[in-house]
Amino acid sequence: MTQKELLLEILSEEIPSRFQKNAIQNASSLFSKILKEYGTHFTSVESYISTRRVMLVVKHLLKQTTDLYEEKRGPRVSAPEKAISGFLNANQREKSELFIRNGYYYLRIEEQARDVRDIIPDVITEFIERMPWPKSMRWYLEDQGTVSTPWVRPIRSILCIYDSEAINAFIRPVGLTTCGHTFGHRFISPGPINVTDFADYAEKLEQNYVALDYKKKMAFINNELVLQAAAMGLCPAYDEELMEEVTGLVEYPFVQFGAIDEKYMKLPSPVLSTSMRIHQKYFPLVYPDSTPAPFYGTVTNVPCTQTIREGLDRVLRARLSDAMFFYNEDADVTLEAFAQRLSNVVFHEKLGSIAQKVDRMMSIANSKEEHRVVALCKADLLTQMVGEFPELQGVMGEIYALKQDESRAVAKAIREHYKPKGAKDGLPDSYMGTRVSFFDKLDTLVGFIGIGITPSGSKDPFALRRAALGIIRLLCDSGHHVLESDNLSWYIDTLISAYSEQGLALLPETMESVHNFTISRLKIFISDKFSVDSEIVDSVIDSFDTLDFDYKDAVAKAKKLNILHGREGFPVIREAVKRALGVIGEENLQVSDLNEKLIFENVHLKSLRKHIEACLAKQEEDLVFQDIVKISGIVLDVCDNVLINDKDLEIRLNNLKLLNKYITLVKCKIGVL
Amino acid sequence: MKYQSIKSFQDIIFDLQKFWANYGCVIMQPYDTEVGAGTSHFATTLKAIGDDAWNVAFVQPCRRPQDGRYAENPNRTQYYYQYQVILKPAPLNPQELYLDSLRTIGFDLSEHDIRFVEDDWENPSLGASGVGWEVWCDGMEITQYTYFQQVGGISCSVIPVEITYGLERIATFMQNVESHFDINWNGREDEKKLTYGDVLKRFEREFSCYNFDVASVDIVLSHFSDHEKECQRLLAHNLLMPAYEQCIKANHCFNLLDARGVVSVTEKALYIARVRAMAKNCCQAWIDDNSQENVR
Repeated sequence: MTQKELLLEILSEEIPSRFQKNAIQNASSLFSKILKEYGTHFTSVESYISTRRVMLVVKHLLKQTTDLYEEKRGPRVSAPEKAISGFLNANQREKSELFIRNGYYYLRIEEQARDVRDIIPDVITEFIERMPWPKSMRWYLEDQGTVSTPWVRPIRSILCIYDSEAINAFIRPVGLTTCGHTFGHRFISPGPINVTDFADYAEKLEQNYVALDYKKKMAFINNELVLQAAAMGLCPAYDEELMEEVTGLVEYPFVQFGAIDEKYMKLPSPVLSTSMRIHQKYFPLVYPDSTPAPFYGTVTNVPCTQTIREGLDRVLRARLSDAMFFYNEDADVTLEAFAQRLSNVVFHEKLGSIAQKVDRMMSIANSKEEHRVVALCKADLLTQMVGEFPELQGVMGEIYALKQDESRAVAKAIREHYKPKGAKDGLPDSYMGTRVSFFDKLDTLVGFIGIGITPSGSKDPFALRRAALGIIRLLCDSGHHVLESDNLSWYIDTLISAYSEQGLALLPETMESVHNFTISRLKIFISDKFSVDSEIVDSVIDSFDTLDFDYKDAVAKAKKLNILHGREGFPVIREAVKRALGVIGEENLQVSDLNEKLIFENVHLKSLRKHIEACLAKQEEDLVFQDIVKISGIVLDVCDNVLINDKDLEIRLNNLKLLNKYITLVKCKIGVL
Repeated sequence: MKYQSIKSFQDIIFDLQKFWANYGCVIMQPYDTEVGAGTSHFATTLKAIGDDAWNVAFVQPCRRPQDGRYAENPNRTQYYYQYQVILKPAPLNPQELYLDSLRTIGFDLSEHDIRFVEDDWENPSLGASGVGWEVWCDGMEITQYTYFQQVGGISCSVIPVEITYGLERIATFMQNVESHFDINWNGREDEKKLTYGDVLKRFEREFSCYNFDVASVDIVLSHFSDHEKECQRLLAHNLLMPAYEQCIKANHCFNLLDARGVVSVTEKALYIARVRAMAKNCCQAWIDDNSQENVR
């Protein structure tokens, strides 16, 4: 049964592919939110997206909305007249309708149940106005002489059916009247289609070559690609991003295969695949042993004709012939020669050229091979190939390095030194790649922070947060000893000197600011990645007495502490430590040993002393923890029942020393708190 | 004499001119100064500002000195033709109109895969931005299609649509040839046949040499400064269209210097900033002037 079902389809010009996937969820949650605000009753809202349409289906939307009764609070009685009239205007009421309670004006808002068909136009209008597109536009409404409310692209038709009947309502902000028909595929079946309900709609869309369900469309493309490629003894390289992109570009998918001219197969495979994926949105195909095959897969919006097939091959030929031209041009020049021209490439107006950046990275590099990697790592920026395909930076460096007989390790590190490119990108494999990546990112941080550029809010034009996160991940997760025998300060300091030798003066507080910045990012890294409460992270970081602490150690401590925090009894420990530390204050307790005799005179202190001794001897972690919980309880007793700050100085100091023993025990058995 | 079976380059242009004239466009002629794109024609940029209706179409030869390949690359040239259409306000069916125009020039849409692929446009120096697509035919971009949203940093109160056809690319499709230079220009198949190469190959080769190798850097440099000065002087006289033209000319001088390989990256940024400043001043003056007119 399709009773009391609402079907809405907003048909527009082509929606950018990259917006489509998120719009599915956004549309249904927004629509159901608005329906609730209007007091309607329904069981579910589902949404679908296609190249030109956003579609919504509401199941069991009851004909009547609920009565609304609300007492709405307004301004204080003492508020200025303007505020009061504003409140009245906003609610379209008269002053005589106000009543007073507890010093505030109130209005009674009563709304009687309405026929849902009367509110549907308002719901549609609000939905259009509130739908969050990453980027939207306005278009001109000639009849009204105004511009529209924003939508992702101009809306051309709105289908609206409730309980199997079309609703005809004028939606003013987009200048259209909703109706009971839609249109098929733009090219294969463009005519109008009358629709009665969702089941009918879904069936007719399919008949008229519009795939309703984005995920099914994507699965179909993937399946066809894999099956048809398998029949040729090949397989497509899986590429989710490309898959989403092509899915959003067709109303109905037709999978097609084409051939690559053999002469272009000499191009390095990253060049081939980048050209196909980025420029043409074709899927590269590979043989079972992963070597590139001279074929590609692609998705068209109409059944493939001979003309289309030839066209697709021809465009790729033109692209690859350009790539071949660049590759051959680049082959005549060595990486050293490209590197020499880096002095013409600006890194930043105030931070010199890329050549100067390379020189600074040299100052913190160590081995001969490492110097070689640094010297060549940016050279490919000046190749024609990277000029054409910026995403191949590093990759071309490796290819050209191998061509000119650099060692494999050097070539690999050249490619890897850009990693990690973002939070989701993997780390470099190799030791040298890891080190040079660290040099590069640290030089960037030192330079920008050194001239007073730090990210604020959403503004981070030089991606300094990303650089800092990269450094943190290299230090914590790479498994390599990135810093070798030096500490982070040495690297920062050496870079600052390198800047100054180049005549680029950095701010005097640069060292501290860089540390503070990376530490602030480290805190976020830890709390995000391991879901550690930010207070715990702060306490761990604060427990280090140097800025040059080991980041990896901080991560481990924070993780450990986070687990402790979840354990039963931990609040007692925390409370006891807090109280003990509060009492001890700044007192110097290193002078002499505990006076055992004084301790034994007090029953509380005696018990505390005994338990601490016993606990110190234990090893098993679980038992130790339970012990410390118990001891902490005793500490709290002591604090409540013993006059710690006795008038007698010796007694007082002795009490404090005992409490300090407790603190030492906690530190030694549990770690930081 | 038998008329051609193939749609000639010039016929494509004739058909587009007729199509858009019938729609109600003013058919203008190319701007007689070097521009990088039809968008730089004053009939686009300046006329996009303001509320008056404005429908125009014209062929615009474009100069992009950097793209020259000495006539050796089949698809890249430093001189090529755009067909530019501005509809202000954009009607309610611009995509259908565009597809109709393709049918008119003899494109069999059922034989091709036409796609509208997101591609927004921005020109920060004019404070202009738009939303739209590049139109793909069988995987090749043949047209740019943009709804202007802002010009001179101000949201358009009447939204224009700009449709820019790449004429050579469309012709290679229609004539099924690989190289721009093989495009049949006049449609003849006898000894009087003229190809795009016959008409423009020498021009392309010589201008590639001029742009890359021979142009006098000193002369072009001084032209740049002269145009810049003149632009400022003309603005002071409130002669906005001549001032804008000087800005366009200065921009072309910069493109030449860039192709000539004498502009370092640092200098490049400075030149771009100078051109932007000129463009911005012209555009701002035009907006101020326009709003005064509206008051009157």
